[in-house]
Parts: sequence; structure tokens; C-alpha cells
Amino acid sequence: MVQAAEVLSHVAALAQTGDLNPASATSTGLARGQTAISLAFHICFAVFGVGMPWLLLYVEGRWVRTRDPVWLALTRKWSRAFAVLFAVGAVSGTALSFEFGLLWPAFMARYGGVLGLSFTLEGFAFFTEAIFIGMYLYGWKRLSPRAHWLTLWPIAIAGTFSTLFIITANAWMNTPGHVTEVDGKVVSAEPFAPFLAATAPHQLIHMLLAAMMCTGGIVAGVYAVGMLRGRRDAYHQRGLRIGLTVLLVCAPLQLIVGDWAARVVGNEQPIKLAAMEGLGHTTTHAPLTLGGIYDEQTGEVRHGIEIPNLLSLMQGFSADKEIIGLAAVPPEERPNALLVHLAFNVMVGLGMALIALSAAVGFVVLLRRRRGQRPLVPTGRPWLWAAAASGPASVLAMMAGWEVTEGGRQPWIVYGRMRVDEAVTTSSGMPAIFTGTVLLYLGLATALILILRRMATGGPELGGSVGEATRAPDIPDARPAPDQQAPNLPASASAGDGSGNGTGTDPSGREEDTR
Amino acid sequence: MTAADLLAVVMVLGLTAYALTGGADFGGGVWDLLARGRDAADQRRLVSAALGPIWEANHVWLIFVVVMMFSGFPEAFGIVGSTLEIPLICALAGIVLRGAAYVYRAYGSGAAGPDHWWGHVFAVSSAITPVALGVAGAALVTGDVAEGAPLTPVTSAFGIVCGVFALAATAFLAAVYLCRDAAASPETEHLVPGLRRRALGSAVACGLLAAVLLPLLWSEAPVVADRFADRSVPFVVLSAIGGVTSLVALWQHRFTAARVTAGIAVAGVLWGWAAAQYPDLVVGRATVDSAAAPEANIVAMLIAVCCGLVVLVPSLWMLFRLFANPEPEAEAEARS
Ligand code: HDD
Ligand code: HEM
Ligand code: HEM
Repeated sequence: MVQAAEVLSHVAALAQTGDLNPASATSTGLARGQTAISLAFHICFAVFGVGMPWLLLYVEGRWVRTRDPVWLALTRKWSRAFAVLFAVGAVSGTALSFEFGLLWPAFMARYGGVLGLSFTLEGFAFFTEAIFIGMYLYGWKRLSPRAHWLTLWPIAIAGTFSTLFIITANAWMNTPGHVTEVDGKVVSAEPFAPFLAATAPHQLIHMLLAAMMCTGGIVAGVYAVGMLRGRRDAYHQRGLRIGLTVLLVCAPLQLIVGDWAARVVGNEQPIKLAAMEGLGHTTTHAPLTLGGIYDEQTGEVRHGIEIPNLLSLMQGFSADKEIIGLAAVPPEERPNALLVHLAFNVMVGLGMALIALSAAVGFVVLLRRRRGQRPLVPTGRPWLWAAAASGPASVLAMMAGWEVTEGGRQPWIVYGRMRVDEAVTTSSGMPAIFTGTVLLYLGLATALILILRRMATGGPELGGSVGEATRAPDIPDARPAPDQQAPNLPASASAGDGSGNGTGTDPSGREEDTR
Repeated sequence: MTAADLLAVVMVLGLTAYALTGGADFGGGVWDLLARGRDAADQRRLVSAALGPIWEANHVWLIFVVVMMFSGFPEAFGIVGSTLEIPLICALAGIVLRGAAYVYRAYGSGAAGPDHWWGHVFAVSSAITPVALGVAGAALVTGDVAEGAPLTPVTSAFGIVCGVFALAATAFLAAVYLCRDAAASPETEHLVPGLRRRALGSAVACGLLAAVLLPLLWSEAPVVADRFADRSVPFVVLSAIGGVTSLVALWQHRFTAARVTAGIAVAGVLWGWAAAQYPDLVVGRATVDSAAAPEANIVAMLIAVCCGLVVLVPSLWMLFRLFANPEPEAEAEARS
């Protein structure tokens, strides 16, 4: 069976190499690079579009109920950051939808219709999100606090749904089914094909958890750094607590879903699994190899730690389970196992580290509760450092995970149906386009980081004047709680802008001279 | 009427919505770019305040149209993607920079370079995008596209005039829309005469450009031109009436009426074009029929669109109602 497939794909590969000229090879490389950069750029912001509304629902909900100004301060800070992240996410996403056509015209021409339902529904999810974000960010003065809080619900739900829809498209590229093709043209496709893809359920849940982990981790990290710099007020403690809770609850769940994912991949995309594990040759009693570097020549992993039988056990719950190795397909149909194995190990390693952190924090919290100590979350310096690292670790794990999924699918753009080099643009302008994209994104990212850094170090904003609010469009301070008191914060912070708060830079004062 | 035809109609309506909402946002950027003199700062502030809550929602119409195009007519999207790279990439760069610069200016507080730099980026990229989209649209009309000849669309006289026409139309819409915003608050009322002049100026520019465009249409795109003469005259008349009425309404300080009629003026042009373009998507390369995805998928998309509209329409209505009038500043202060 395997051999027949091998022969067939050999023939197919030979037919292919004929038209593989160097120009199209570089343009494939550049197009892949550009897709990867644009997607990675987009996903860094999209995860906040998914996670942030849920966190805001919590903090603003607390404010609506308690009118505690610290909750308001958290809400205000986060909604400002969210406004910027969302806008950049939206424009980078728009760029993606154009890029799919510009970089992969043949892919879109053949399969655009198959993905139609996913993308159409996605469009409506964006609409809902963008509409209610407009109301949320600019409606502080026009809506009652409760109505304002309610506008977060459609944002949160639509953000989550937009992940659902886009992931089904990607899952279909990984495990395409329910589509009939004749001579390279789709003659019939079940409209729900993307939703029926075998990898859709686990990819969706894994991605949603990843989005929550990244959001929680980054939020926790920002406040952990603040606390490391000596700002240990209620504002920072609550920010840290919320971020860490989200991150640490999701981390163990991520392991369960990841394990499920690996089994589905083993069934549906055995070559991807082989690349993930660095397994050169088909075998029973397959070991699980931790770390190490895959050597293409020998088909072995060097310098790795082998745990005998474990891979077979994990895949089939029996050491006799046969695991297909990379050698089952001709070389030009193998993904880059060195990269995929490495990325997989990075993801799993970071995931395990976060689970360990989760367990340790959980243990300490229980201990402190028993002893009646407050705050429950440990805030010693090593803990804070760990919290600060957890955000970047989650983002890195997510990026690595995508390299596994997308890199492991190579050389297919649609697994088993269309190769990447068939799909790519023939444009001679690719080098220029690629350079331009990289420069544009680098510039935007740098500016964004500077702005977010200013926001993060600016301290809480409490009781700013209404005059400022009319200029910076979103500042939610029109309805300060009637009983607003000096909160549990450094005195300078409640003066309006945090100018005395650590860095000494004063964001709101600057707005005057530039208009 | 086949399902594919219906989807094409939905696309045209989506495009109209984009032109009337998102287009006006670009036009706002144009007036930011051209703001001069004593009132320049006030004018920029007015543009920025008008854009704030709605630009992201307005912008999704474009995504909607692009998605319809690649899901419903994948083959046409493939052709567009591989022949119109230059205008599309310019439009893309414009869209990305416009959006990013807008929020960087609003929230950056100078952390990433002075706000007015971002203001300039915002203004310039707002002006580039409609031109680029106009050029791309023109190439669909002439069908003068080929793989490996990316420069053809941007060097065609017809394309360039179409691009400038698109720019003038967005500027016209923005000026008309802004009149109402400016008139709504005593603080900005002094901007109204200037905006009225701008609306008039851009309307004249649109008229002149249209006069140049028509002969070019006949020489560059005879196929579409013939159908234009057959089918599009009512739309053109509608558009002209709308344009003139809106100027009269502006003069009489009936700003809401001016908005509606200005919208009709622009929509008339788009519909006239769409009627003449049908059944071609890219003239000579792809028609609604030949490029369509399998019927079942299109039907599913149409059903999804209907369901989506059930959510979308009330939400949009809420959004525009909520922000129809200027900030209730005084009330808010009085209450708190
Ligand atoms: C916070 C991020 C994060 C963390 C901690 C983990 N993952 Fe993950 N992983 C992702 C983020 C991610 C991802 C970026 O979200 C991916 C890429 C595509 C997808 O659906 O999820 C992914 C893909 C992905 C795949 C490939 C799925 C496919 O191609 O269909 C597998 C097998 C795993 N993961 C397994 C794991 C295991 C066993 C983990 C152990 C803890 C783990 N992941 C932690
Ligand atoms: C795992 C992958 C993805 C996830 C989880 C995701 C999620 C999101 C979310 C939550 C948003 C809302 C904006 C924000 O909050 O930043 C968004 C925006 C957007 N995404 Fe993605 N996305 C993904 C991949 C893609 C891809 C592959 C495309 C294009 C083909 C795309 C196209 C868009 C577009 C056009 C927008 C802008 C919508 C708007 O204006 O509101 N996304 N995405
Ligand atoms: C948002 C998270 C995602 C990230 C970070 C990501 C990452 C990547 C990477 C690294 C590649 C290049 C693979 C290689 O050349 O080794 C790639 C390719 C690609 N991805 Fe994704 N991907 C994401 C989601 C998606 C989604 C949701 C879709 C489709 C709807 C998608 C469609 C594609 C396409 C069309 C290619 C190019 C063809 C290929 O190289 O296989 N990606 N992506």
C-alpha cells in the first residue's frame, strides 16, 4: 500500500521537477517567507483581539459592580492598549486577505470557493467586532456603564468566532476532504467542507487556549515588570493576578489538547508527525525523542534524549503501534524535519515549563490560603521574573506551534492536493515586494512597541480631566464614580497621568503641542 | 438570474457601501492633507473625530468585497492577484499605513515620533488608496491586463484618470459629510463655509474628470463602452441629479439631505459601471459565469450573507445612531 503510494508520488514528483526553474524556486521562497512574516505579525495582534475582550469583561464587570477606581484604572489602560492592538490587527489582516491572492493566485483560484463559507462568516465576525469596538472605545460618554460593559460581549464572542472560522480554513488545508476535483478543477465541494476537516476541532481549541495564554501571559508580564520596579500597589497586584490566573489555568489544558492533536496528526498526516518527532524510518516500538537535531543523511536525531517505546505508546496505546517514518515518501515530499522537530520541541518544552509554573503557583496559593496570607499570588522576585517571562514564552510557543503545523505540511499548500510551488505567483517583482513588506512591518512594529511601552510604563490613569478626553478619543473618564476616592495607589498616579510613576515620562502632557 | 449573478449583485452593493462609508474616510484624510491656514488644526480635529468610532467598521466592507471575490469568483481573484500587483500593493500599503497611523496618532502621545508625522502618514496614505483602487478597477474595465506585465495598469491613461476620479469622489463625499458634523456643534461651526467650498470644488473636479473619462472609455474599453451606452444612462442621470441636488442642499444648509444626495451621486457612478461591466468581471478574461465557484458553495455563501445581515444591520444602525451627534459633553458634565 505504502509502496504503491510511493511510486505514484515519485512519478508525480518527476513530472514536477521539469518546470522547477530557479526563478520560481526563489519566488516560492520569498512568497513563503512573506506569508510567514505577515501571518506571524497578524497573529501577534489577533491573539489580543481574542483574549483581551474576555479579560476586559471581567475587570470592567468588577468596576460596574463595585465602582472601585482600581478596576476602572485597569479597564482604561487595557482598553487603550486594546484599541491600538486591534487596529493593527485589523489592517494586517486586511493585508493578508489581499496577499493570499497576490502570493498564491493559483491556490486561491482553485480553492477559494471551497473556503468561501469560512471566509464569509469570518467577514461577518469582523464586522460585528469592529462595530462594537467602535461603540466600546468611543462610547464612554454616550452609554451607561452597564450598556458600555454589554458592548464587550459581542466583541468577545465575535473575536472567538473569527478564530473558529479562520482555523477551519487552515484545518482544511491540512486535511482537505469533501471536495471532488477533475483535472485540477473543483467540480463539487460540500459547503461545510472546512468545518468537517479532521484537524479542525483540536486546532480550534488549541488555538483559542493559546490566544488566552498569550494574552494572560503578556498582561501578567507587564504588571510583574512594574512590580519588579517597585510599584506594588493594588493596581499592579490585580493586573498580575488576572493575567496569571488565565495563563496558568489554560496551560495544563493545552497539554491535553496538544496530546489529542498529535494523535489526530498521526492518523491524518503521518509525515508531519514523523517530522515533528524526527523519525526517519517506519517502525514499531518507536521512541519519543526529546531535543536533538535531525540529521537528514542518516534519518536519525543526534544529541536527543530517547525514551524507548513512548511514541508508539502515545499514538496507539501499545508499543506495537507502527509509526510511519519520513522515508516512506520520496525526499521532495518531506518537510524540513530539522526545523519542524526543533519547533515542536520548543513548543512542548515551553508548554511544560508553563505547566510547571502553573503547578508551583497553584501549590503556593493553596498554602498561603491555608495560612491566611494575602495576597494569595506569590510576589517574590523570582516569581515575578517567572511571570514576566511567561508572556514571551507563550507567544514563542504559539509561533513554534504554527511552524509545526505549517512547516510540517510542506511541500503541500493543500495536503496531498496542491504543492506550494504550483500555487505560487510567477511575479518577477517578488524580491521588491518582499523587501517592502518586511520594511513596512518592521517600521510599524517598532513604532507600536514604543507606544505600548509608553502605555505600560505610564502608570494607571485615574481621574484625568475631561478636557483631555476630548482629544485622545477614547479616554473613559466621563463618568467617574461619584464616590471616587484616592485609591490604593501612589499619590502621584491619582493626579492623572502617572508622571511620578517610575519612568518620569508623561504621556498626556505632550498631546497639546502636536495638534 | 443565477446564484452567481446574485452574488455579483451583493458584491456591488458591498462595494457601494464601502465607497460611501470607507471612501468618505479616505476623503477625510485628503482634507487633512490639504488643510491650510488658520483653521487647519480645527479641521484636522474634525476629521479625526468624525472617523474615530466608525472607520474600522467602514473598512470591513472592503474585506467583505475581497472575500466575496475570492470565494465566489476564485478564478477572477487569481487573475487579479497575478496581474494587478502594483495597484493592489499600493492600495494595501495605503490601507495598512492609514489605519496604523491613525491609531498611532490618537494613542501614541509622541512615543513613536511626533504625532504630526503620523498625521502626515495618515493623510498621504489616505490619498494613495483610492487612487490605487481606482486604477485597479479601471483595469477590470479595459481588460488590459497580462501576467508578467505589471506596469500596464498603472501606465494606462484611462486607469490614471479613473484613479484620480476615485480620489475626487471620496474627497467630495467627505467634504459633504463633514459639513453636517461641523454644523452640529458651535465649536466647529466656523468650519462650515470652508467645507462647503471644498465640496463644491471637488464636485466640479469630479464633473471635469468625468468629461475626460467618457471619451477615454470609448477608445480604451469599447466593449464596456457599448454596454454603457445601452444600459447605464439612467444611473448616470441619477448620479448627476444627486450631485447637483446635494450642492443645492449644502447651500441651503440642509446637511442631512446633502449627505443622502451626495451618496446617490457616487452610488450612481458605481452602478452605472457595474451595469456596463456585466457579465464580465475582467473583460476578455473572466465572466461572472466562467469564474464562479461551484453552485452549492455560492448558495451557502448567499445564505451566510443573509444570516450575517440579520446581525449586521441592527448593529450598524446602533453604531451610527450612537455617534450621529457630537459628544454630549455638557450633559455628561452636568450629570457627574
Ligand atoms: C501557547 C501556546 C502553545 C503551547 C503552550 C502548546 N501549543 Fe501546541 N500549538 C500551538 C500553541 C501551543 C498553536 C500555535 O496554537 C498551534 C499551531 C496550529 C494549531 O492549531 O495550534 C499548535 C499546534 C500543535 C500541534 C500540531 C497540530 C496540527 O498540525 O494539526 C501539536 C501536535 C501540538 N501543538 C501539541 C502540543 C503539545 C503536546 C503541547 C504540550 C504542552 C503544546 N502543543 C503546547
Ligand atoms: C490563526 C489564525 C488567525 C486568527 C486567530 C485570527 C484572528 C483574528 C482576530 C481576532 C481579528 C480581529 C482583529 C484583532 O483583534 O486584531 C482578526 C482580524 C483580521 N484577520 Fe485574522 N486571524 C487569523 C488569521 C488570519 C488569516 C489567515 C487571514 C486572511 C486570510 C486573516 C484576515 C483577517 C482580517 C482581514 C482581519 C481584519 C478584520 C477587521 O478589520 O476587523 N486572519 N483576525
Ligand atoms: C496565524 C497563525 C499562522 C501562522 C503563524 C502561520 C505560519 C506560517 C508559516 C511559518 C508558513 C510558511 C511555512 C514554510 O514555508 O515552512 C505558512 C504558510 C502558509 N500558511 Fe500559515 N500560519 C498561520 C495560519 C494560517 C491560516 C489560518 C491560514 C489559512 C487560512 C494559513 C495559510 C497559509 C498559506 C496559504 C501558506 C503558504 C503556503 C505554504 O507555505 O504552505 N496560515 N504559514
